[in-house]
This record gives sequence, C-alpha cells and structure tokens, in this order.
Amino acid sequence: MALVELRRLCKSYPGVRALDDIGLTIGSGEFFTLLGPSGCGKTTLLRTIAGFNRQDSGEISVGGRPLDGVPAHRRDIGMVFQDYAIFPHLSVAGNVAFGLRNRRRPRAEIAQRVARALELVRLGGLGERMPHELSGGQQQRVGLARAMVISPQILLMDEPLSNLDAKLRIELREDIRDLQRSLGITTVYVTHDQEEALVVSDRICVMQGGKVHQVGTPWEVYVRPATLFVASFVGAMNLLSGLAVEAGGTVRLAGAPLQVPALAGLDNVTAAIRPEDVMVDPAAPGDGVVLGATVEKITFAGREAFYRTALADGTSLAVLIQRPTPELLGREGHAVRLVLPRGKLLFYDADGRLLGEPA
Amino acid sequence: MRGRRDIWTGVLALAFAVVAVFLVWPLFSVFTASFTDNRTGEVTLANYLKVLGHPYYLRALLNSIIVGIGGMIGAMLLGVPLAFLTSRYLVRGRDVIATLSVLALVSPPFIGAYAWIMMLGRNGWLREAMAEIGIELPSIYGLFGILLVFSLKFYPFVFLLTSSALAAINPSVEEAAENLGAGAWRRFFTVTLPLVFPAVSSGALLAFVLSLADFGTPSIVGGDFRVLATTAYNLFTSEMGGNPGLASTVSIVLIIVSMVVVAIQRRAVRRRNVEGSLVKRMAPRRLGPVSSVLAHLLCYGIVLASSLPSLVVIHTSFRKTSGPVFQPGFGLESYRRILHEVPHVITNSFVYSSLAVALIVILGTLIGYILTRREGVLSGALDSMLLVPYVVPGIVMGLGFVVTFNSPPLLLTGTATIIVLMLFIRRLPYAVRSSASILKQIRGSTEEAAISLGAAPGWAFLKVTLPLMLPGIMAGALMSFVTAINELSSSLILYVGRTMTMPVRIYLSVLDGEFGTAAALSTILLATTGIAVFLVFRYSGRKEGAFV
Ligand SMILES: Nc1ncnc2c1ncn2[C@@H]1O[C@H](COP(=O)(O)OP(=O)(O)O)[C@@H](O)[C@H]1O
Ligand SMILES: [Mg+2]
Repeated sequence: MALVELRRLCKSYPGVRALDDIGLTIGSGEFFTLLGPSGCGKTTLLRTIAGFNRQDSGEISVGGRPLDGVPAHRRDIGMVFQDYAIFPHLSVAGNVAFGLRNRRRPRAEIAQRVARALELVRLGGLGERMPHELSGGQQQRVGLARAMVISPQILLMDEPLSNLDAKLRIELREDIRDLQRSLGITTVYVTHDQEEALVVSDRICVMQGGKVHQVGTPWEVYVRPATLFVASFVGAMNLLSGLAVEAGGTVRLAGAPLQVPALAGLDNVTAAIRPEDVMVDPAAPGDGVVLGATVEKITFAGREAFYRTALADGTSLAVLIQRPTPELLGREGHAVRLVLPRGKLLFYDADGRLLGEPA
Repeated sequence: MRGRRDIWTGVLALAFAVVAVFLVWPLFSVFTASFTDNRTGEVTLANYLKVLGHPYYLRALLNSIIVGIGGMIGAMLLGVPLAFLTSRYLVRGRDVIATLSVLALVSPPFIGAYAWIMMLGRNGWLREAMAEIGIELPSIYGLFGILLVFSLKFYPFVFLLTSSALAAINPSVEEAAENLGAGAWRRFFTVTLPLVFPAVSSGALLAFVLSLADFGTPSIVGGDFRVLATTAYNLFTSEMGGNPGLASTVSIVLIIVSMVVVAIQRRAVRRRNVEGSLVKRMAPRRLGPVSSVLAHLLCYGIVLASSLPSLVVIHTSFRKTSGPVFQPGFGLESYRRILHEVPHVITNSFVYSSLAVALIVILGTLIGYILTRREGVLSGALDSMLLVPYVVPGIVMGLGFVVTFNSPPLLLTGTATIIVLMLFIRRLPYAVRSSASILKQIRGSTEEAAISLGAAPGWAFLKVTLPLMLPGIMAGALMSFVTAINELSSSLILYVGRTMTMPVRIYLSVLDGEFGTAAALSTILLATTGIAVFLVFRYSGRKEGAFV
C-alpha cells in the first residue's frame, strides 16, 4: 500500500534550483532508482521525502495520505546513508535495535528481530562487535539491517555503495536487490552509477539539473533514451550532431542519404546509435546505412573490444566488437564497411528530445 | 530550516533571552551612561570631549595600545622560535615544554605580576642577588614589568597555534625547497614562515586583545603607567564618589580598540588554512652539538621563565611568617591564616565557578548545536552576538552589570547571583565555540539516522549526539572552570565582603603587602588549575591545541 506520489515538487537553494517541478509515482514494492550526475538533486529529493528538508512547493503523499507536516521521525521511512552513519558508541546489535526501541517493542521481540536482520545481511553472530571493529562493507550492512528491521513503509538509500571498493560494491548490490525482493519493501535508491542502476532497478528515473528526464524500466531507458542527456549518460552512445534535414525528411550520415519521414519539417537533428548496434563488414547489410570507415585505434578489454573508426567526413564512431579474435584485433589502419541498422538509429530534435522511431 | 518547530525552537528563544538580558542590556547601559551627564542625567557629549581631548585620557589610550602591541611582539618573539625549534628539530622533552607552556597559559596573569614583584620589585630577591654581583636590573614597575608579564603569559597562544600549523605543513613542501637549493634560514623565511603566518598572526592578535583587556597586571605592576582598563576602574571606584559616565566613556573607547583588533584577527583566522589530516609527519632533524645546546637553552629558558612565577608563589606560600613579615624557614602560617580569616573566599570561588560552569555547559552545548545544525537567519544573529564578549574586557562587563542590575526588577548587586551570571556570560561564547567545533566533527547523518528510525529530534540528540560529544564537553567544562575560578577584573567590580573570591582577595592582599596569604591563595588556585589541565589532557587525548 506504499504508493508514493510526488507532485510538482520544487526546492531552491541560493543560486540553484535543486528540484524543478518533480512529479513521480512509485508503486508498492517497487525498486525505484534516481539516477543522475553529481549535483543533479538526487540527495535533495531523497531528503525531502525523508523529511530532513522541506520543499518550497509541491506535495508528497504515501498511500494517499499527505506527508506534509509529518515530522521526519514519524514518517516511518527507513534510510541508508552514503557515509553509513552508524552510531559509533553503540554495538552492532545496539545500532540495529535502535529503531525498535523507539517503537517500544518488547525486549524479546527486539532480540529476535535484531538477530534475524543480522542473519539477513550476513552479519549473524557479530552483534556484540563495536562499529570500529567492522570493515566498510560490514558497516554498511549494519546500516541496511538497521533501516530494514523496522519494516518501514519506504526504504531510502543514498548512494549506499559509493564508499566501497568495486568488488564489494557488486557483492552488496546483489544482496540489497535480493533482500528488497524477498521483503517487498518499496525502495527509492540513489546512485550516479548507471550500470548499478540498470542492474538493481525495477524502474529508473534519470535526473539532471533538478529535472526529471525520463522514467522507465532499465530496458526502456537503455534502448529508447528519451533525451540526448539520457542517451549519453546511460551507457555509451555515438552521436552525429548538427544534421541538416532536407526536403521529405532526408538526412545525410557522412554523405550517405537516409530518408526518415518522421523528420520532415525539422531543421536539424542529432542521430544516435550504440556502439554494439553498429555492424562491421556484415555478410548481409539488411535495412541500414552503409558507410566506409577507417579503423583508427583498437582497445581490447577481454570479453570485448572497441574500434575507434573515422568516417569519410572525419566524424569518429565507436564500434563494439563482441567476440574479439586475433584477426579482428589486427586491423588497425584498415578500411572497413560499417552498417547502421535503420531500426537502431535514434533521432533527437534541437532541444534534445527523442523523435518518433524511423519508419 | 524554515517552518520546523521542535524543542530547538524553544532553545533558540531561551538563548536569545539570556543574551539580550545579560549581554546586550548591560552593554547598552554602558553605552547610554557614556552619553549621560552624571548630575543632571541629560544626554551629553561632554564625556567624549573630555576623554578624547584631555592628555590624561589620551595618554591612557596610547599606553593601552603600546601595551597591546608590546605584549603581541613579546609573545611572538618567544612563541615562534619555540614552535619552530620544537617541531622541526630534535629537542628533548617536547611534552614537558608543551605542558609547562599550557600551565603558563591557564594560570592567572595577576599571579605572574605579583610573583615578578617579589623577584624584581623594590626588595625583590632576584634584583638584590643581581645587584650583589654588580648587575643593575630595571625596575619591574611600569611598562617593562607589564610587557615582561604579558610576553611570558601570552606566548603560549602563538606557540600552540604555530606548532599545530607547522605540523600541518606537508613535509614535501619543505623538502622541495631544500631540493631546490634553499638552506635552513632561507627555507624558513621563504617557505615555512609564509605558510604558518596566518596561525602566527592569529595567535599574536589574540595576545594583543588580551593584553589590552587585562586589568590585574597593569594595576599591580603598572605603577604610574595607566592604561584604559585601570583608568576606567579608578574612575568608577574613585574615593570621591566615582564617575560612571566618564568610566563608561573610557570603556567604550576600550571596546572600540579591541573591536578593531578582533576584526583584524578574525580576518586573519578566516584565511587560516585548514589543518590537514596528514599521515606523513616530518621527522625532526638532529642539530649539531653547539646548536643543540643553544636550542635547548632557549626553549627551556622560555618555558622556565614563564613557570618561574608559579614556582615563586608556591615557594612563598610555604615560607614562615609572622603577620605579614617573612621569617627564615618554612611553615604553614599563611595557609592557617587564610583558613582562619577568609575560608568563605575559597568556598565562594569553588561554588560560583561550579554553578557558572554548569550553566555554561548546558546552554553552551545547546547553542553550539543550534549554530552548527540549524543554520538560519536567527542562529546567525545569535552567533554574531556571541562574538561580543570576546571584545568586551572584564572591567567593562562588570561596569555594565553594576549599572544595569542595581535597581528592580533585577536588583542583583551585592548578591552571589550577579557574580555567577557574570562568569557565565563572559565564558559562554567559548563553550559555544568548543561545542560547535566538536559537533562539526560528528557527522549530521548520524543523528538523521536516529530520526529516520523514529527518534524525535530532542531524543536523537540525547541518545546519539550527546554521548559522542561528551569527552569534548568535559574538556570544555574544565577549561571554563579554570577561567571562571581565575577571573579577577569583573569580580573586583561586583564583589561585596560576603561574595569575595580568591582572585579578588589575592589582589587586595598584594596591594596591602600581604604576600604570604596572597601566595597561599594563589597556590590553591594554581593547584586547582593544574589538576583541571591534567584532566583536560586525559579527556582530549593530550592535544595542547584544546587550550587555545
Ligand atoms: N544545503 C544546501 N545549501 C545550498 N545548496 C545545496 C544544499 N544542498 C544541496 N545544494 C545544491 O543543490 C544541488 C543538488 O544537490 P544534491 O541534491 O546534493 O545533488 P546530488 O545528490 O544529486 O549530487 C547542488 O547544486 C547542490 O550544490
Ligand atoms: Mg548526493
């Protein structure tokens, strides 16, 4: 029943609009992620939901009940902090029990729920430890257990993994995802790491400059980025910008004409295609634009490799090579034939908005 | 955070009320008194015309500035070399040096003044001993004595601030200079000194302000050398009925001079580089044998000279006396006399200081919290108002209290309450600062975590933040206690026989030539101070910086 609704939320700090007319609906049990570069207002939004700061205008409701005027400690919203915010003077068990004590649960129940929460975050048996005796990853597990044990209506997490090293980050994000699924807690998760967002989320909200750019499933956000900003922020994307649209909606990609009826009437557009969608010397070109190019540089990354190619007009285009072979890796300086499949090309108008799919 | 009302709103209101009644109002009274004719009660500029036009007062103003600058220079000349030698070169017993200078810092200046009289005064033993071997020492009375006491009293500020700034310099910077061909002296003047300059200057200006405000020292060893603080006091307590209007005007001039200096100091502090948490510490260098001996002589010379007054006072307190006259040998007569004649002075001092500290700790902690965690227009205003006690000398505050609280509804003159309140308001800002700086080291998210787990804001503070602040609060409380129990100038204006405190009694005894009882009381003060400093070292994990 935790259906979270944010309506027309605005918040300004001197000189910045941290939240600019945010409207979102988050479903019950959903894992909802706010994704965006540093400074885009993610933390501000999260803290506004938590009640640590107040919006200038707009409202927040949970399950149809407005949160306005409900102080932070009565909102029943759990929070996991970027810097862990573990109470350094309390033991691990003391930290986890804190919220239950505030709720005046009976002793026996507290002990049992704390033990179970610690099991869930794989800290079983460490209840008597003091926080300084734990590693960063373990401390964040305490933070997680502490926020979940109170079974809050909503769980907020502000970049909970960003202070951990890469390996722990992956391990803990899997655990967070599994726990969220099994407990079904409505979760709002903040990250600036697009890969993390794609991996854990049911839905992603991409933000920039206090504004929402797109809300959608990881698939939608990745495959059909709604704006140029989303296109370049989530995953790698080739952009061919400043293309003049000729009569009947024809654009020229490095000289090669392509007719896209949806572009008719526009002045100028940007075409976009993901490196993995560009085909190199395909047996059958299919329906797409065929371009000649030169391989300028090859980067080998193990499972895959990248070509940096230069088109006839000098534009550079990145291409992903799925299964590199010695032969494919030895082609620096060679001429290749690239095919941009029509169905994979995206077009954006001068304001950076996605245009209807090419026919 | 606008629009939020909780327990902290009430605390903010209380803080404003306290500051308005016990700080703003008294100072406002001094201000209006300075524009009032004593007899007719009319508004007049006569007092200002007199103070700014009469050589007698201009002399006092000039002397105050001379004393301030002199004290500042003296403190730098002793503090900077001491800091540099002890942090860059292998000087044995660094801890001893730091501890002795902290003790010099916290012991009251008037004790230093009168100990130097016993050494270099008319019949001072050091003076007589030197005269026997043919060396004529200058008389302690006058400017020389004042500057001697101030330099030895205030150099620890420069020393401690500069030491911590030196420790924060990235060693590679000095190594780079050396690598580029700069020798030791060149390195010091072109790299090290510019880097620590902000710290040096803020220590130096602190010495300036305190020299300017001090009353006890110029009053005891000044002789004919009058400064603004002593002039204001004399005008107010004069045998011939006192002149509160003129005393107030002199006070206002004194405040203005300190305000200018504090403004300069704050600018210097603002530019002060933040202390980095460096893992890499510079290893002290070994000095050649001759330089090493000279360095040790200099360092220990400074700290021993500054501890000498305390040793003299302790020694004197155990000398045999009969009445005010010293006899050969040792005895406990002085202690017997104070216990017999003025036991209430000792209990007063402890009771008043403890009460004041209790108030300071409670309100100081809460206000410190508001200033760090509830930034806003009102807390900003409170912060600025709390700067005021830094620029108002004790004499002036005392004057303000007397003229403000001598009539209903708040008739407090002659009570113990007025002394406790005075100690409280003068030291409150220091406690606020220290609690704010402790809080800055505790992350705000810790408390927010508690709130998100259902703790109301007040409860979150009690359960989470307060326990984390406790060691810092304890250290701050002990420091407040030390300054409160050593407070002379304002108590001197506010006391009546019943409410006399140890510093006041010491001051009066010194004026009467009762050196034995003054020494015994001073020893009690010094011992109390020493114990408190020891405890602060324990609570703050031995950081000398805690004292500045
Ligand atoms: N307390 C504050 N005072 C002033 N500006 C703030 C404050 N908090 C955040 N901001 C500004 O609001 C914008 C959004 O900040 P934030 O929500 O922290 O971004 P994110 O979490 O996405 O990195 C930034 O420009 C930041 O500088
Ligand atoms: Mg953030």
